[in-house]
Amino acid sequence: MKREEFLTRSGLEVRTLEIWLEQRWLLPAAEDVETGFSEIDVARAHFIRDLQGGLGVNDPGIDVILHLVDQLHGLRRAFAELKQGQGPLDGE
Amino acid sequence: MANPYDVLGVAKSASDGEIRSAYRKLAKTFHPDLNPGDKGAEDRFKDVASAYDLLGDADKRKRFDAGEIDETGAERPQQRYYRDYASEAGHAYASDSGFADYMDGDDAFAELLRRSQQARANRRGPDIRYTLPIPFVDSITGASTRLTLPEGGTLDVTIPPGLVDGQVLRLRGKGAPGTGTGGPGDALIEVEVRPDPRFERDGDDISIELPISLTEAVLGGKVRVPTPTGEVTMTVPKGASTGTRLRLKGKGAPRREGGHGDEYVTLKVVLPHPPDPALEAFVEGWEAGKSFNPREDR
Repeated sequence: MKREEFLTRSGLEVRTLEIWLEQRWLLPAAEDVETGFSEIDVARAHFIRDLQGGLGVNDPGIDVILHLVDQLHGLRRAFAELKQGQGPLDGE
Repeated sequence: MANPYDVLGVAKSASDGEIRSAYRKLAKTFHPDLNPGDKGAEDRFKDVASAYDLLGDADKRKRFDAGEIDETGAERPQQRYYRDYASEAGHAYASDSGFADYMDGDDAFAELLRRSQQARANRRGPDIRYTLPIPFVDSITGASTRLTLPEGGTLDVTIPPGLVDGQVLRLRGKGAPGTGTGGPGDALIEVEVRPDPRFERDGDDISIELPISLTEAVLGGKVRVPTPTGEVTMTVPKGASTGTRLRLKGKGAPRREGGHGDEYVTLKVVLPHPPDPALEAFVEGWEAGKSFNPREDR
């Protein structure tokens, strides 16, 4: 998705997007940040806006939360993959 | 939705600060992205967020208290949360650092984790879809063509004879690269058959409209007819008319079970341009032509 569509869908200002990219809170998939945005980036931007806005989390807090939430999803993915391929455990 | 004051657990007389504080406390507890595994969190968060949309806005709160709008006045649109995407593999935010140390052990669990990570590291590349427009004639006879890829490079594609519009060709291993030993995905090429003004296709058969002269219609004769594999000679019978349908056997599309469909040629008599005075004079004096009424049998 193009940068303009991403800005509209996420409700971000251009300057805010630049800051979030610098902070590496958003990591568009393609090298070209003009076109590299996807649905996950929109959803992540909404999450960060909720944290900053309604939940009143400051910038260092957002860094920590994103780091922990991404680890949590890594764990959930690993669990899901283990659950899918649970064959080896059955015989043990 | 229940009464927004009840949802936030505040009194009707609560100050703006008390409402904000109550919302923050509940939102931290129920935000779906802070509860990735709790399916009910989304509904509870939605209620809390809707209640705050109403009571957190001084004007809306005043109108709600006055009974001008009800509690659904602040309904939020459907939203996809980060958690809906984040547990998938292969995105830039994925992190293994929450359990990487567990993979170092020599127990069965560590082995499973290692295998799982290895499978992810050796994942087959995704398939890539392309659209390839081809001429009608190539869809019947088959062809070799070169597809220029939007991301650069080309792909040689063999069009099998008899292909239909919308059919998808799979080129194994021509999709996106995989990771590790996973191997590339496939290229899926959807073929778009461009219409040909001469031919119409109906299953394995082809139809065509062929203009003929009055002389050819009356006296019959040999005419050249286009087919997907080139022109052929066809005999027009004496006394042919517009709408007469003739068959060229085996000149249609290849059949799955072997052989070919047919080409049907519908004749269309065309008078000379400009009108010929001699023909006019002949028809004027042609008595049998005056008594013949082609609409009689209708």
